[in-house]
Amino acid sequence: MSKDMVLEHGWKVLLGAFLILLPLIVPEMKVHLATEILVFCLFAIAFNLLLGYTGLLPFGFAAMFGVGAYATALMFNHAAGTPLAVVILVAAAAGFLTALFIGAFCVRLGGTYFALLTLAFQMFFYAVAMKWREVTNGDDGMGVTRPEVWLPGLGNLSLMNIHTLYWVTLFFVAIGITLAWLFLKTPLGNSVVSMRENDERAAFLGYNVFITKLTVFAFAGMLAGAAGGLFVLYHEFVATTAIDSNMSFTIVLMTIVGGSGRFMGPILGVVFFMLFQDWLSDLTDHWWLYFGICFIIVVLYIEGGLISLFSREGLRVIFKRRENNT
Amino acid sequence: MDIYAIQALHGLVYGMLLFMVASGLTLVFGMMGVLNLANASFYMLGAYMAYTITLYLGSFWLSLVVGPLVVGLLGVVIERFLLRKAHERGHVAELLLTFGLFYVIGELVRLIWGSNPLPVAVPDILKGDIPLFGMTYPYYRLFILCFSSLILVVMALVLMKTRIGILVRAAVSDAEMVDSLGTNVPLVFMGVFGGGAALAGMAGVIAAPFLSTYPGMGLDVLMDCFVIIVIGGFGSLFGALLSAVMIGELQSFGVLWIPRLALVFQFLFMAVVLIVRPTGLLGEKE
Repeated sequence: MSKDMVLEHGWKVLLGAFLILLPLIVPEMKVHLATEILVFCLFAIAFNLLLGYTGLLPFGFAAMFGVGAYATALMFNHAAGTPLAVVILVAAAAGFLTALFIGAFCVRLGGTYFALLTLAFQMFFYAVAMKWREVTNGDDGMGVTRPEVWLPGLGNLSLMNIHTLYWVTLFFVAIGITLAWLFLKTPLGNSVVSMRENDERAAFLGYNVFITKLTVFAFAGMLAGAAGGLFVLYHEFVATTAIDSNMSFTIVLMTIVGGSGRFMGPILGVVFFMLFQDWLSDLTDHWWLYFGICFIIVVLYIEGGLISLFSREGLRVIFKRRENNT
Repeated sequence: MDIYAIQALHGLVYGMLLFMVASGLTLVFGMMGVLNLANASFYMLGAYMAYTITLYLGSFWLSLVVGPLVVGLLGVVIERFLLRKAHERGHVAELLLTFGLFYVIGELVRLIWGSNPLPVAVPDILKGDIPLFGMTYPYYRLFILCFSSLILVVMALVLMKTRIGILVRAAVSDAEMVDSLGTNVPLVFMGVFGGGAALAGMAGVIAAPFLSTYPGMGLDVLMDCFVIIVIGGFGSLFGALLSAVMIGELQSFGVLWIPRLALVFQFLFMAVVLIVRPTGLLGEKE
């Protein structure tokens, strides 16, 4: 193994070890926070498959997240005893089907049209969640009980223990993010990037742009649905907040601030956003204001998002700008 | 039968109000391809201006003049110092900038005016009801209808009959060509952006006594406006008028007939329009 290889892969091993050992290091309150961060990491990675890699900006991405969340809550309440992995799979499938349905109408359009249309569909699902009280309980939402998980050698473990919940969430999120990573390595994942650069050229090369984009949209929806399921597992509750426009907008903000150009960008965005919220919401009720200002600064001045500051090119961009200014 | 007439009037009033916000949105989009999400914040700012000016200076009419001016000026400043900077980075950056502004302005409003709904009194002259179709109808709603119709007529005259209007329409159809013919298009755009903001602010002022002011009003009207410009067709002013009235009526009758589904209706309607005609009813370009 060369030195470069060690440098390249070493940080992944360290990060993995850190994530696994985290609950043992930090106080219990922060384990709660870390669990929620994990859930949003998966959601943001799914979102960035579209924004960063496919060049689509869905303003209504919470539709898939929310449908996954409601599917999970309904499974917990009406099919208690189903193994957790199956429930999360059902959530993922629900997200997948929702995305397939929405995508069939939306992915033909680009830019602002696509952004708005997905938002309109999300609002439609929101309206359904709000009004179909018999199933969703409307405004009041539904409480759920976290099930037990059965692990080989360990038997049934209660997820009421936050450490167990963290590790279980980490397990599912790691699978989801790995799937997204592998997806981008497939020929399909590569062709998607060519469509981001130029739809028409990709079509001339013989790619079916509609089917490809629909596949990516459905795949991202599947991961978002799973994230929605984990969200309910963590909160033990689902309400229309899981499927409203605020949820859609939050994921856009997090991803852009972190940086959509790199795979790890959205993760940095989520961590920054959640820690920022955790820190500022104790100090002020208006922390959204400060985050909004951060967001505008990133949009105007830091094109690649916060993650670009961690690369050599990013530093060069900043210095270049200073040289120009003086 | 009378209840239908009244309900139709309700829908028309709300539709015209929505049109005032949507018109700035659709013109700016036609010219620069920017969907200005902050337009809904301008509407909200207008309503809060009405509240503050009516409270401290005691005149609603003053706020109808000052509110749109202040909001329009804010629009000009935002265009000149923020949007133009984002323009270099493309449409997505512009969209995201107005998105960020929507959040920041919304939170600033909460910071300054608090989160509770604030009532704005209807001016004395317009208090009371008028007998109509065998029932009574508030004067103030009729005022909204008349006032917004007046604005519509003025806007149509400016756009159709004046040189500025011709420039604006030309820039909507091909900004680059107009620019190379020697017109200062960025200046025209700044004007249209400010004008759109002022119109939204004006809509906010006249909406304030009718719907009261609350921090979520921006988001509410934003959703309706999205639906309107998607149905009407991006960049089409007449399309926006048509669909604004349709959405107003749809909401009005939806609440009357099937209250549970009123919210769902307009999104269903939008989906149907898009399946049949993806560019919207009167939209031309994609």
